[in-house]
Amino acid sequence: MNLFQIIREIEKVDPEIMDRLTHRRSALTALGDISKKMALAAAPIAIGSAFNKAMGQQTLNSVNDVLNYALLLEYLEEDFYAQALAAPTLAANLSAGSPALGAIQTIKAHETAHVALLKGALGANANPRPSSFNFGTAFATYASFLTFAQAFEDTGVRAYKGQATKIKDAGNPNNLLTIALQIHSVEARHASHVRYMRRAAPAGSIAQYGWVTNAEANGAPAAVYGAGNPAATFPAESNLVQGGLTLTSVGGNTYTAAEVSEAFDEGLDNTTVVAIARSAATF
Amino acid sequence: MSDNKLLGPDEAEFAKPLFVPIKRRSFFMYAGATAGATALLLAGCDDDDDDTDTPSGTVSLGSGDVGVLNYAYALEQLEAAFYAQVIATPYTGITTEERTALTAIARHEAIHRDFFKAAITAAAPTQIIGGLTPDFSKVTFTDRNSVLMTAKTFEDLGVAAYNGAGSLIKTNDYLLIAGKIVSVEARHAAYIRDLLSNGSFADSTVVNAQGLDQALTVSQVLAAAQPFIKDKINGDNVGK
Repeated sequence: MNLFQIIREIEKVDPEIMDRLTHRRSALTALGDISKKMALAAAPIAIGSAFNKAMGQQTLNSVNDVLNYALLLEYLEEDFYAQALAAPTLAANLSAGSPALGAIQTIKAHETAHVALLKGALGANANPRPSSFNFGTAFATYASFLTFAQAFEDTGVRAYKGQATKIKDAGNPNNLLTIALQIHSVEARHASHVRYMRRAAPAGSIAQYGWVTNAEANGAPAAVYGAGNPAATFPAESNLVQGGLTLTSVGGNTYTAAEVSEAFDEGLDNTTVVAIARSAATF
Repeated sequence: MSDNKLLGPDEAEFAKPLFVPIKRRSFFMYAGATAGATALLLAGCDDDDDDTDTPSGTVSLGSGDVGVLNYAYALEQLEAAFYAQVIATPYTGITTEERTALTAIARHEAIHRDFFKAAITAAAPTQIIGGLTPDFSKVTFTDRNSVLMTAKTFEDLGVAAYNGAGSLIKTNDYLLIAGKIVSVEARHAAYIRDLLSNGSFADSTVVNAQGLDQALTVSQVLAAAQPFIKDKINGDNVGK
């Protein structure tokens, strides 16, 4: 993951983040190259605590901002699947006529349709596609590809959910809220199927279902299932409280924490989502 | 609702798949009479259902956000009762994995039902609908295809219902909660569809050429759900 790129991104919304990291930065500057690498290994801890302070806001101010944010995520997903379908390393698993190939083609087609729909809605205000997406070693193995796919789909679900009230508060122009919800549930269908593919994978089968249990990442970045900011609005996927009700005991019935966490997906703020995307891809 | 453009010419197509399985299964109405009767008996034990009935025996969901919450509560009651019966009388040949997954889904739907009951009771204690009496007489609970086709109908319908109702909701907290539930219903729908036919998780019967899932109006959803509910449901004022 590209930590410095993430910091640059956060600086756009939180100019003070470097102040909070200053002691770390000066330490890095003072140290030689070899030490720097060692320090970097410990950096995620410092970054993690800085994130908690930095991501205190949804930063999208207009419906167009929301749509361009969605468009960026759809560009990323579309490109991810396009690269997967072209990757020689995945050809044996995504073989002609295989269910896996069919599923990935279906998902890719939906992401392409979402890009076209959002670009159409934005018209001249649509942001251009980033010049390239580099997914690192994502396509090295089938298992790695599916892990990335799960991360992107589950993040996509959380991302759209996180913007629903934003669109509503902007007056729901052109009933974009309904369209966003219609995309949102398609992403959830994708997520469910990709999770099922990982469960059924010939090598490295993951004992999971189509829904998110607790905040189990199963190889995806932990942040995909963690809390956003503010955490009261965007708790981790392990959240047990909805509408002020702790649902492990409700209506005279008791449920396990796993069951309650599975029954509700959580939203995520845009800053956290973009940080997750940039931790998995360079663009 | 101003989503007519979205639904537009496809409305009939959207409604069709919801009804086709019912017709196809009418043969089972008789074969499955015993299982159906059991379901009714069990479901009947739930709650009294006459506290909000109008004199004509119709259950009114009410208006505004409470109407939307009652609408969701009604659908979750239906799903929860269905899966409870699926788990109580598993179909012939059910695998361990299927039983585990369907049990999880049953629990999720029960949590949704109990959540809405508690939330509406807290927010509008005089306006909550009572327990509904489901009618699963068209479902053959011993038959895998009958059960999973019904599950598919309910899950796809649930997704379309929440998607269509989102723009009716006035309170942000409720909208966010609806969003938290609808994606779980979509995950269920995809899983059930894959059990029926691997790869059908988001096929063209539910996702259109624009990559959009279904969004149905309250009246469309209730028309599709009504055959599975003995009480007559009136949702004319939901969200208004």
